[in-house]
Amino acid sequence: MANKIPVVEYSLCAACGVCVTACPFSCLELSKVGIDRYNKVYPVLASPGTCTGCGICAKACPVEVITMQVLAGVP
Amino acid sequence: MKAYTGKVLFVNLTTGDIHAETIPDEVYENYLSGVGLGAYILYQRIPAGADPLGPDNMLGFVSGLLTGTPSLVTGRWMAVFKSPITGGWGDANCGGTFSPAIKQCGYDAIFINGVSPTPVYLFVDSNTAVLKDATSVWDMDADAAEKILQQDNLNKKKPVVALIGPAGVKRSLISGIVNDGGRLAARSGGGAVMGSKNLKAVVLAGVKPIGCHDPAAMKTLSKELSQKMRKFNLPGFVKGGIFPLMGKMMGGMKRALPMDGAMAGILMKRWGTISNNTLGITSGDTPIKNWKGSVVDFNHSYYKHLNPEKILKVEKQKYHCYGCAIGCGGITDIASASSGEFTESHKVEYETCTTFGSLSMNKDLDSILYINELLNRAGMDTIAAGSTVAFALECYENGVITPAMADGLDLSWGNAQSIIALVKKMIARDGIGDVLADGVKTAAAKLGVTGQPYVVTAGGVEPGMHDSRFDPLLAIHFSVDPTPGRHTIGSAQYYDMIHLWEKVSWAPPSGAYLKADEYIPSDKLAVKSVALSCYKELVDGSGGCLFAMMLGVNHWKLFEWLNAATGWQKTPDEYMEIGKRIQTLRQMFTIKHNVDPMSYKISPRMAGVPPLTAGPNKGKTVPIEAMMKLHWKHFGWEEQTGEPTTATKTQLGLDTL
Repeated sequence: MANKIPVVEYSLCAACGVCVTACPFSCLELSKVGIDRYNKVYPVLASPGTCTGCGICAKACPVEVITMQVLAGVP
Repeated sequence: MKAYTGKVLFVNLTTGDIHAETIPDEVYENYLSGVGLGAYILYQRIPAGADPLGPDNMLGFVSGLLTGTPSLVTGRWMAVFKSPITGGWGDANCGGTFSPAIKQCGYDAIFINGVSPTPVYLFVDSNTAVLKDATSVWDMDADAAEKILQQDNLNKKKPVVALIGPAGVKRSLISGIVNDGGRLAARSGGGAVMGSKNLKAVVLAGVKPIGCHDPAAMKTLSKELSQKMRKFNLPGFVKGGIFPLMGKMMGGMKRALPMDGAMAGILMKRWGTISNNTLGITSGDTPIKNWKGSVVDFNHSYYKHLNPEKILKVEKQKYHCYGCAIGCGGITDIASASSGEFTESHKVEYETCTTFGSLSMNKDLDSILYINELLNRAGMDTIAAGSTVAFALECYENGVITPAMADGLDLSWGNAQSIIALVKKMIARDGIGDVLADGVKTAAAKLGVTGQPYVVTAGGVEPGMHDSRFDPLLAIHFSVDPTPGRHTIGSAQYYDMIHLWEKVSWAPPSGAYLKADEYIPSDKLAVKSVALSCYKELVDGSGGCLFAMMLGVNHWKLFEWLNAATGWQKTPDEYMEIGKRIQTLRQMFTIKHNVDPMSYKISPRMAGVPPLTAGPNKGKTVPIEAMMKLHWKHFGWEEQTGEPTTATKTQLGLDTL
């Protein structure tokens, strides 16, 4: 388990999927998160077990809405 | 870091040789990537006279220069090749996630020539490139084969696959290349080229990062667009039922005005391309009954069934191509429409709703949703297939195709069940389907009706579903682009939305003008069409999307993104020169392969010869030949022949290629 995971600010997310493609381990998937009247899908961490916390997704995000959140208790 | 990798992979399927080559920086500065890099490579490496379905043809999979950078709506890839339909330049453009996947393998493009002795697919990741046996998936539909190839090559990264379906395998000249479960690089016959090489798929699983010069500047531009897109909305009470009225108003307008491209964003975001389903019918933008009818024929009792709201009812979720902030696509539930054969499908596009709707006088929406998925899985171009069906229906009406020749099908206008059966026959090359499987031009030749008014093409290519009699600037682009019949290059409506004149010194301002003026050949109209051609090549060199282009240069800031991505600091005029270079090289390719550009002129019916007798386009005729010549002249090409002049080639640095 990584000591950091990506957290998405959905209200500002473009739903562009760049982070999903950028992830080298296919940890992110697009899914409904219930905030959009157009039925858009947004990135969610579908495979937290394989996330290394590398931050590539956050770096790739064109609109800078992903932050890497430190997980308490994970070395 | 640069926005491009500077490396290209070459694969020879005859010898099995796979090697990478370094591309000099100046090539990118002169041609960008995407269609420009494709033209640069193919012009020099495909010998004149090469058989499009033979080993000398080269098939390129090219990413956009901006793909993978922190720009938005720049994730499209291009298939480039010599077209087996026209014999000249061929390309097709597609979204999904394939374009960044090319760069994540460490290449800007993959070019493939030769012919494999057995079915193969190409697998590439960050470290390797290898040909693998494709015998077990060769005959499968694109959806089934994609899933298997992804599973077979699954490691840490889920692979992205571009492949052909049965239509490409059977070398249908109207077949395309499929990725992401039903997105198609559909046009120009690329699927047949891929099939002729015994190449089923390209499977990519690279994880290399994609860099750029100034990511912070790029992200600032992206945030600006993203914020705008969030605000591009109509009130919830505005429904698709309003479109016929809007279309009627647009069709009746005597004057045109510049528009804010935000409207395109609003419509695409909510409905996608189907927003034009009924609007186009009442305005005159949508061709009807194989281009011989009007809204009088496909009237409210028909078009009400194509209301985009009916399609949104089965839309389960939106679909964005890679890097897109618009999201015109969708995933739809088609279990009912397909009687349980399929569960879901990429949302049907306007083009498909039209070729299998008004063009064929078909009001059965379920049949269109079903056919859409059949063709996506087969990897067949829905524009070309539907246009060919409409041609066949008129042949049936004329007695050219008899009931016996039709294998017992009743090919009367609008017979949905017969149209479905006919499409299945085309995919399988069965009976009358084999006659039609290569498109209108080949079918007309087989039926002995070449040159008849109901043979509707531009240079042998089935045109996009926007009526050239409604928009003469569109007629010009249908006829002068090296990929004829393409509706995605330019039109008066595009010009009025893009606002190029606000950034490009020589692009004519578009104030209020009489619509009737569009039907008179003029220098101003020609320069507009030249500007659109140049700009579209920039878009296709960058990986940009038509619908972003339609937002206009003040919302989707291509010039600024290119500078931030590369550090070049070029002016918009300098970028437009690159677009001019790419377009001229595409034209040079066509001429090198001995194709007469005048042969790309739209069919008489598309130019209003004879004019329609009813509907918004009643009495309208487009003097297309004079308009083509003026376009060529202002492009710096020979006015009579369309061949780029020596002076133009020298000015653009194309004389030494």
